Amino acid sequence: MKRSLSTAVANNRRFIPVVATAVLFLIAYSIGAGFYQGMRDPQVFLNLFRTSPFLLVAAIGGTFVILTGGIDLSVSGVVALTTVAASALIRAGWDPWVVILLMLLMGIALGTILGIFITYMKVQPFIATLAALWFARGMCFFISDDAIAVDNRVYKILSQTRILIPGLSDPVTKQGAFISLLVVVALVVLALAMYIAHSTPFGRTIYAIGGNEQSARLMGLPVNATKVLVYSVAGFCSALAGVILNIYVGSGHGLYATGFELTVIAAVVMGGTMLSGGSGYVVGTLFGVLVLGVTQTLIQFNGMLSSWWTNIVVGALTLMFIGIQSFLAARRARAGGAARKREGRGELLRRARKALLYGVGLLAGIGLLVLGVNAFLPHIPTRCTLKPFQQEKAAALVQAGAVIVYEHNGGSDCVDELYAIYPDGRIAAEEGARKLEKQATPTEINDLLSGIQDLGWFTDTLYSTEHEPCGQCYTFFLTVAHQGQVKTVKAVNGGTDTPPAYWKVIALIDEIIPPFGAP
Amino acid sequence: MRQTKPSFEWRQVAESRLAFPIIALALVLLFDLMFVPGFFAIESRDGNLYGNAIDIFRSGSTVILLALGMTLVIATGGVDLSVGAVMAIAASIAALMMNPYVMAKELPENLQRLVSDPNFTYAPLWAVILVTLVVSALCGVWNGLLVAYGKIQPMVGTLILMIAGRGIAQLITNGIRIQIFYEPYAFIGNGWVILPFPIYIVIVVFTLLWLVTRKTSIALFIESVGVNARSSFFSGIDEKRIKLLAYTLCGLFAGMAGILASANIKTSDANNIGWALELDAILAVVIGGTLMTGGRFSLLASVVGALVMQATTTSMYAIGVPANAVLAVKGVVVILVLMLYSEQVRNLLRRLPTQHKEAGS
Repeated sequence: MKRSLSTAVANNRRFIPVVATAVLFLIAYSIGAGFYQGMRDPQVFLNLFRTSPFLLVAAIGGTFVILTGGIDLSVSGVVALTTVAASALIRAGWDPWVVILLMLLMGIALGTILGIFITYMKVQPFIATLAALWFARGMCFFISDDAIAVDNRVYKILSQTRILIPGLSDPVTKQGAFISLLVVVALVVLALAMYIAHSTPFGRTIYAIGGNEQSARLMGLPVNATKVLVYSVAGFCSALAGVILNIYVGSGHGLYATGFELTVIAAVVMGGTMLSGGSGYVVGTLFGVLVLGVTQTLIQFNGMLSSWWTNIVVGALTLMFIGIQSFLAARRARAGGAARKREGRGELLRRARKALLYGVGLLAGIGLLVLGVNAFLPHIPTRCTLKPFQQEKAAALVQAGAVIVYEHNGGSDCVDELYAIYPDGRIAAEEGARKLEKQATPTEINDLLSGIQDLGWFTDTLYSTEHEPCGQCYTFFLTVAHQGQVKTVKAVNGGTDTPPAYWKVIALIDEIIPPFGAP
Repeated sequence: MRQTKPSFEWRQVAESRLAFPIIALALVLLFDLMFVPGFFAIESRDGNLYGNAIDIFRSGSTVILLALGMTLVIATGGVDLSVGAVMAIAASIAALMMNPYVMAKELPENLQRLVSDPNFTYAPLWAVILVTLVVSALCGVWNGLLVAYGKIQPMVGTLILMIAGRGIAQLITNGIRIQIFYEPYAFIGNGWVILPFPIYIVIVVFTLLWLVTRKTSIALFIESVGVNARSSFFSGIDEKRIKLLAYTLCGLFAGMAGILASANIKTSDANNIGWALELDAILAVVIGGTLMTGGRFSLLASVVGALVMQATTTSMYAIGVPANAVLAVKGVVVILVLMLYSEQVRNLLRRLPTQHKEAGS
């Protein structure tokens, strides 16, 4: 039994990275569910899919490119260009279906041009796709400097249709766990990609090119055509991801998806695909995306960790997966030469020990340095003592019909302001004993609500990122109820870690609420 | 046996490492000469010189520094994606050491004054620069260990620090954008002594690096590792140590660039300092004719390559293209330059004088 297990493992070693990712995902999710009551809600699990269909689609394209041994940095540029171009065309009155089709064709065209550059002009994939990234992102700003909102029936239907999960939801009241249409699209793309990669001549050629391009050529495989086609597929996936993002957030802007290409590469690497090409599985990418999602969810639920920890954790996870891969590669190399087996093991051990020694030494050095710098710096209080949050009161206000409840705590004067905005235009504010009232028009309130939604309020771009506020920063609680959705975000406004979407939302609200003078 | 061989001088030009970047730079400047009136005008205020042409050097100084380090790394056959993140780390550390009080919420009266005092620094300037450079060099060592000793592909190994680095930089300053008030530090980035101060730094660093690499065998070792790491190992070169050295130097130069950038904008902005600059640096090296697969390199050509990138940006600003849209133009310039470098064009150029001779005879 034991023996057959070990043989099974030995025979299926190539699955280890994928399985490792899947196991890591399950462990991370179980830990989260163990610690946080909220994560046991099946909807939180489904949200991992719901909030990242564009990442999944883009990462599938990236997987194909990386399997051939190339790399595609143009993803984020093409995504941004798609959102802007699609939004602009729809604003100009085009039919959304035609626009979507055009965008996909544009993605394919861009990808094909890149593929031709890389395959026939022998430009390094890194450089060529980088130039394409810049080109695409720059073109966004020739179309429009500002974000363009999309107000279109088809887009609304596509983004808001809920597909209820049988068994986890109530079909009568239409409440319960659900996924969106976009998730279905992403999963269909995944299934198609798996079929193409593993059961078609095209897919086999991709693996052959990644394994050894020279051999693939000598075997008479259509290397050049396949390489061009792979970049076309990647362009298609990027454009589709852009369309999905466009539908999802309901607007387009040239600064959307900055740094997205790194997320895509990280997801692919975590999914067990080797960046040198030729080894990996498309399904692994799904788990890579899920691991990224669960990392972000854990940090949201924790609430104590600042948003920048996402970056650090993703970096550490990437390192871990690369460690697993290079360990496996070393084992494979060792298994290759039976005669050199003993020598190989000795060499491996020596190398591992040396690397470990250097790594530990370096980490210790950095740790000492940080300690030293910290000991040398003066110890000073860096924040104002926040007054207790009034979230029960806020919840009561939402119950009483307020569409926006905004608590604003901290800042240079250590205030604790609570604003409630009602759909009829009434705005009530209080700070301690002081009270303010203001009457706005219902249209203004409606514009404010749709403005907040356009900024992606009900998406994963805005989540709770509360941490110790910096000197002059505010901690805020913001509850928005709009079109049957209610979401509360707790975050810090100010400082470098606040992503633009947060302060844009706050700026919209600040325009309308009455200001308190100095206390 | 008579061979129709091209004239020696022409071939030397066509094969030279420096020729192509200089041609590219000349093309960009020619564009300015024709379409941007007054681009080359230099005016003197208080004995200091100002003008677009000088601005190219001033704004380009960070990319030049990055490109110098990147040249060494790329010559070993690697690449360092983390330089932008290392710049952010360096800026955060320097700013924190100079004025930790800026982060304070409530300060005693006697310290309040120090927060915006242009003559106050908590740590002496030399200590700030030393610690910052040591930390950035350590970041380089980390990359070098992963790539040389961990046998991880350079692009992946440095990707880790690229992703995590900005998080670390924000961790250092607790997510705060620290303003820098200390004047002597700011002078490093935006001071003028007839010419902008960063230019002198670049000249000194370049000369030192050129002497250290070219007057010893280091450059030779780096090139040999880049051409073939295995045969270098057999000829007695410790290729791992050479790679480690290259990455360490690259981290060090990224730290310098971080100091320059933060001194120039007078803040430690962990999100934006060095954003996407690794790409500029890599392209500068590629335009400088060093192959991404490693091998022969020329520091001067990389500097010219960095100037090509900066000249493009500066001239686009001069004709009023919005900042974000400049990226598209840069992308096109890169494509054009790369087409100029492609095998097809090179062959054509090599054949050109031959054909000319044949037509003449």
